[in-house]
Amino acid sequence: MLRVSALTTETDIDLNAINGDTDSAAVGITYGPELVRFAQSFALRDDQLEQHREALLKTAGPEVLVDAAGVAANFQRMTRIADSIGIPVDDMQGEVGQAVRQDLNLARFASAQNTLNQKTR
Amino acid sequence: METFDYTDSPYPIRPDIRKAHQEYWQRLSRPGSWWNGEQRVAIAAESRQAVNCAFCAERKQALSPYQFAGQHETNQVVLNDVAIDAIHRIITDQTRITAHYIEQNDAAGLSKNAYVELVGIVVAMFSIDEFHRALGLPLEPLPTFEIGEPSHYQPEVLSDDIGFVSTVPPHGAVGAEADLWSDGRTANVVRALTLVPDALRDWRMLSDAQYISFASMANFVGDPNRSINRMQTELIAGRVSAINECFY
Repeated sequence: MLRVSALTTETDIDLNAINGDTDSAAVGITYGPELVRFAQSFALRDDQLEQHREALLKTAGPEVLVDAAGVAANFQRMTRIADSIGIPVDDMQGEVGQAVRQDLNLARFASAQNTLNQKTR
Repeated sequence: METFDYTDSPYPIRPDIRKAHQEYWQRLSRPGSWWNGEQRVAIAAESRQAVNCAFCAERKQALSPYQFAGQHETNQVVLNDVAIDAIHRIITDQTRITAHYIEQNDAAGLSKNAYVELVGIVVAMFSIDEFHRALGLPLEPLPTFEIGEPSHYQPEVLSDDIGFVSTVPPHGAVGAEADLWSDGRTANVVRALTLVPDALRDWRMLSDAQYISFASMANFVGDPNRSINRMQTELIAGRVSAINECFY
């Protein structure tokens, strides 16, 4: 989705931001590093969440913080829906999706088996 | 007293987020398709308990979750051990849930229908609680359950072509399920919970507020009702998903 959005808006981005590289997050995305640090601390449940929440608040304002919190919380749900039901990726042949999966090495995740080992039940 | 009174929040919470959370609390308290109101609220309570379960933390480090004995930290009196374990697995170790695990649970009395509704409750609860944690806000007290029996509703058109359980196929959004999607096309993740259609309706309502609306899904620039554009949105979504080891 990030790559499609960047292509749609003709913005150069660095997908390594998804793997936590904050320098990459600064490429083409406003408040990218602050958003990644906040999302990362949140998802890892580490002890820096308050610090990164305050940094995002100070840099981007309360509306951005609240919207970012909503998205981050939403994707705690989406991941668990996909894995709890074992759904496969819709289209493994799509060019953009293939490139993203390769760039981010997503096949290393255990849940990749739900797609890679898919067979008709 | 009104639920989700965010007046003490140091940040202004968008009214549509508050409304979605309030609406979900009402739905949670009522009898569902396969669980009654008391059981649904108990599932919600147990999902909170799972977050800090020491046994789950230890089991997550084990090579296989199936070869690690122990007891979950729980005060549960409404749900049985099979349901409790499923709730904890969904919260703390979801990437290692398998078809075999769900078949075993089915044989032990947690039907696939009941499992799907349980998944829907756990993930909805978790996303609301996690929103609060992200902003440093206290968790909302759970609602009082309503008396009544589950409907045992199941969609007429089901398919076994994806995932661990039956789902409504793309062409199956008809009749009582006609509101789920249109044009006979949808994504697998949307189909995931459709064995219990209300579970999809719940997550769609929450997702419309917390993420972006279904209607805006193809807008890759940005929703005018949000302060972050689509790239910022997907950057957050992607980072959280990567940490959760989400292949999908």
